[in-house]
Amino acid sequence: MSFIVIKSSFLSTIQDYGRLAHGKHGMSQSGVMDEHAYSWANHLLSNRFNDAVIEITFGGTQLEVLIDTFIAVTGADLEFKVNGKPALMWHGLQVSKGDLLSWDNPKSGVRAYLAVKGGFDTEVLFDSRSVNLRENIGTKLTPGDQLSCQFFEEETYRFIPPKYIPNYNQAIILRLLPSYQFNEFSANQRDLFFNQDYTITNANDRTGCRLSGAPIAMKKERMVSEGISYGGVEISTDGLPIILLKDAPSIGGYPKIGTVFSLDLAKLAQRQPNTQIRFELMNIHQAQKERRKFNEFFKISY
Amino acid sequence: MHKIILAGENSILIYFGDKIDASLPEIIGNFAYQLKNELSDVIIDLIPSYTSLHVSYDLNTISYQDFCSRVEKCLAKDVSASTTFTPQTIHIPVYYGFEVGLDLERLLAEKELDLDAFIDIHSSQDYLVHAIGFSPVFAFLGEVDKRIQTPRLATPRIKIPAGSVGIAESQTAVYPTESSGGWNIIGRTLIDLSLNNPDNINKFSVGDRVKFYPITKDEFVNSGGTL
Repeated sequence: MSFIVIKSSFLSTIQDYGRLAHGKHGMSQSGVMDEHAYSWANHLLSNRFNDAVIEITFGGTQLEVLIDTFIAVTGADLEFKVNGKPALMWHGLQVSKGDLLSWDNPKSGVRAYLAVKGGFDTEVLFDSRSVNLRENIGTKLTPGDQLSCQFFEEETYRFIPPKYIPNYNQAIILRLLPSYQFNEFSANQRDLFFNQDYTITNANDRTGCRLSGAPIAMKKERMVSEGISYGGVEISTDGLPIILLKDAPSIGGYPKIGTVFSLDLAKLAQRQPNTQIRFELMNIHQAQKERRKFNEFFKISY
Repeated sequence: MHKIILAGENSILIYFGDKIDASLPEIIGNFAYQLKNELSDVIIDLIPSYTSLHVSYDLNTISYQDFCSRVEKCLAKDVSASTTFTPQTIHIPVYYGFEVGLDLERLLAEKELDLDAFIDIHSSQDYLVHAIGFSPVFAFLGEVDKRIQTPRLATPRIKIPAGSVGIAESQTAVYPTESSGGWNIIGRTLIDLSLNNPDNINKFSVGDRVKFYPITKDEFVNSGGTL
């Protein structure tokens, strides 16, 4: 064993790149909410792109290190400390047996990622280590849990140019692909959608993010259920958007006005309730170009 | 006949019709099978549902346009001629009793049916798997006889026991695990559909058929059922 959980008060779970090939079995995609911070955490340690990490939401988590190894912590500033002293984030870090890692309260952002050299070695369930509480796949971390990690040979580190460390307090615009029923919303309703500030509500978790704002109208409120893409924006019966995220069901029956670009969803994953957001149109070629560049850099193979 | 639309940065949706139709699941199931074989180098996942097939692909190796044109080529072939997908029939024993069929008594009154007639209507026909979703191994089965169709509950229940058999509009289904939900519960099966048995992910495929058969209270209890 290489880590033991001392405290876990809100939600900390093991996540990886996701369970991408089981939508046909009714399973969610699952996986990390912030692919940007996650990918950097593994990259800093020269891990594989899909190695498992701990996703720590809001803080309140303490782990004791049981071996000498290397870690990297990225994502939200949740007052990360080693043995009670503020420690470096976005950086490979050597830790030793007996060290105490802690995350207290959110200062900026929502979700922090702890990667360990070699990746966490938890049980692979349906081709992924990602925990999905809605589907009873795995459990959240609880005090006393012991975690092991995979063997590694080389001690290689990488560095992150500071310009790539995000500022989670910045305003965000979510770029939307005109997918699904986009063309079935009237031009007026689409204008209303793109020209208003929406607010992130408290109904905001790994399954979806519900927004408040001025409702938009849709001719039909329900439709035949169809397969859902990560980032699909449902317009629910009250006319307000729900952005479907990693733990969303594989199919759904509300009309969808579009699909948010994945790397913008990574930014959304770090925004607190009451944050204002806007939508902007994006075309598929631009989206694929940006995602391909990201995948190439982090050696993400699918 | 079909229409391809954008679903996301690495996904498309193919429509095979615009309303629920008993002939679609097999067409979609066949096509999904064929697509998986022919485009296995770039396809990540395929999600069939009622009238559509959601397909995600590896954007690192193929662009949206190129992927769509490969799918179009596949669609142009006569899929029905190929014997690609063999539907199965899954038999599910159900105890239709008031202790486990939480809405059964109300439904009998609303539909003016006695219990035997109700059981006969629900269990005498085959149902087609139209979609799998909501949660793993949850199969949407249609089409329920008009005499026992019922809208979802106005307020969903917080807790529905695993194995509960429900009706919502023209659909029926088994809840694989304990969950919340708004379907009208008419009975319970002891068949374990949960992921405690990992093989259950392949229990149902779109295009398969499901047949319920009634068991008595004694059979239910003797097989380990609790009332």
